[in-house]
Amino acid sequence: MIQRLILILLCISSLSSLAQEQDEDLLRVKERLDTVSAFTADLKLDVDISFINMPQKTATVKFKKGEPMSFSSKEFALIPKRGLDFSFQELFEYPFITVDRGMETIAGKELKVVNVIPTDRKADFSIATVYLDVKAERIVISEISTKKDGTYTLLLDYSTSEAVLPSQVEVQFEMERIRLPLNFMGKGIDVDRKKMRKEEVKTGKIFLTMEYKTISY
Amino acid sequence: MRALLATEFYKLIKQSRTYYALAAIFVIEGVVLFSAYYQGAGIIDIVLSNLKDTFYFEGNLLNGNLVTYFILNSLWFHVPLILIIIMSGLLTTEYRDKTLQTVMMQPVKKWQYILSKYIVAIVFTACVVFVLALTSFLLSYALFGKGDLIVYVNGLTFFEHDDALLRLVYAFIVGAVSMVFFSVVSVTLAVIFKEAMKTWIIAAFFLILSNILLKVDFGSELLNKLLYVKLNDTWQYFFAFEIPWNTIYLNVGLLMAYILLTMGVGVYVFQKKDIG
Repeated sequence: MIQRLILILLCISSLSSLAQEQDEDLLRVKERLDTVSAFTADLKLDVDISFINMPQKTATVKFKKGEPMSFSSKEFALIPKRGLDFSFQELFEYPFITVDRGMETIAGKELKVVNVIPTDRKADFSIATVYLDVKAERIVISEISTKKDGTYTLLLDYSTSEAVLPSQVEVQFEMERIRLPLNFMGKGIDVDRKKMRKEEVKTGKIFLTMEYKTISY
Repeated sequence: MRALLATEFYKLIKQSRTYYALAAIFVIEGVVLFSAYYQGAGIIDIVLSNLKDTFYFEGNLLNGNLVTYFILNSLWFHVPLILIIIMSGLLTTEYRDKTLQTVMMQPVKKWQYILSKYIVAIVFTACVVFVLALTSFLLSYALFGKGDLIVYVNGLTFFEHDDALLRLVYAFIVGAVSMVFFSVVSVTLAVIFKEAMKTWIIAAFFLILSNILLKVDFGSELLNKLLYVKLNDTWQYFFAFEIPWNTIYLNVGLLMAYILLTMGVGVYVFQKKDIG
């Protein structure tokens, strides 16, 4: 009887450990990202949102492990709240489980697709899908569904085959169409209200180009 | 002609009405600066509230360029209204005080006399817009500093400081042409109606109608391009992300033609009309 009980307990514990398994390739990517303890970079921002016209902006970004990223700019800049976490600190901040979705070929590259599901309620995303370049041990695409700010996608491009941090990032995100108090903005305005109503939620893109000044490991 | 011009400038400078009107323009400027100082940040917050969910803002948008842009917008109504009051006074006071008859008893050609009125109106209007622009830039930059300009023209558009400054300067220059048009119309209306009150009311009505008709579609592309009411917002074109230079050149050219035509009508009517 005792032997049976032990066997059942062992089975349950092994099943539970199997369910909580984390993808090894993803863990290798995480370990590699964890080696970066700090960096500073000059950032170029190009905004592609249908109702915003903005010239290219520059900013300086500072990252220190365990701290939120900080930005500074001499000029006015719109800096996206989401998608600047190149070190994927937020993705791995709380315990998570992963689901292997198999391989997918994107732009001629064989990528491993993995779902990341946080197990802690404190995490501010509900699910993320990451596309891994297993050979280079890095994330190429990530689609993150947040609890409050909708879904955003990062397309990351690296300057060299060894680089840990991306040199170019395309951030795609959802945003509500702007509602302006038109009285404030003068009257040289043509507003297509029907079109405005149709386009309540818009997809915006921001293209970021990073030039790293310092990277500490 | 020179003597006539000198006399007309002297009369304009001596009129107390000129100074009341100029003071009114600078009071408007002061009110814009005052309200921007106390409420500007709140306005910017409202304008950008939707974007705040998605973006962090780095830098200050309530700056001298935005405040100058607010003052520039007084070219829609306030500045031309004040200008037409002053400019119609150039002639209506002469009719009222019967000084016109005294002048006409001198060896002065009628067309030269009225032309000198038009020239004074044009020069004075240009000076007013220049002083308005200069004080706007000086006060706005002194109080609010430099920075990017945000405007809403076909979407939210941002301009860097140097670009914004240049666009504002161009807008004041082309805006001055629009103001000259209203001043010239005002003098022409004074030629036709003679009486100050009547001229003011009709000139103000003309201004209001022009503003309303700006947004009316006349159903013909040619009319929508060539009618004077469609030209008076040309100074706003400098706040499109890509400046439509060809349209601006065409509109300014047409506006100048309208100015000359209005002056021509005024000179002709004055020449033909009895001065009594």
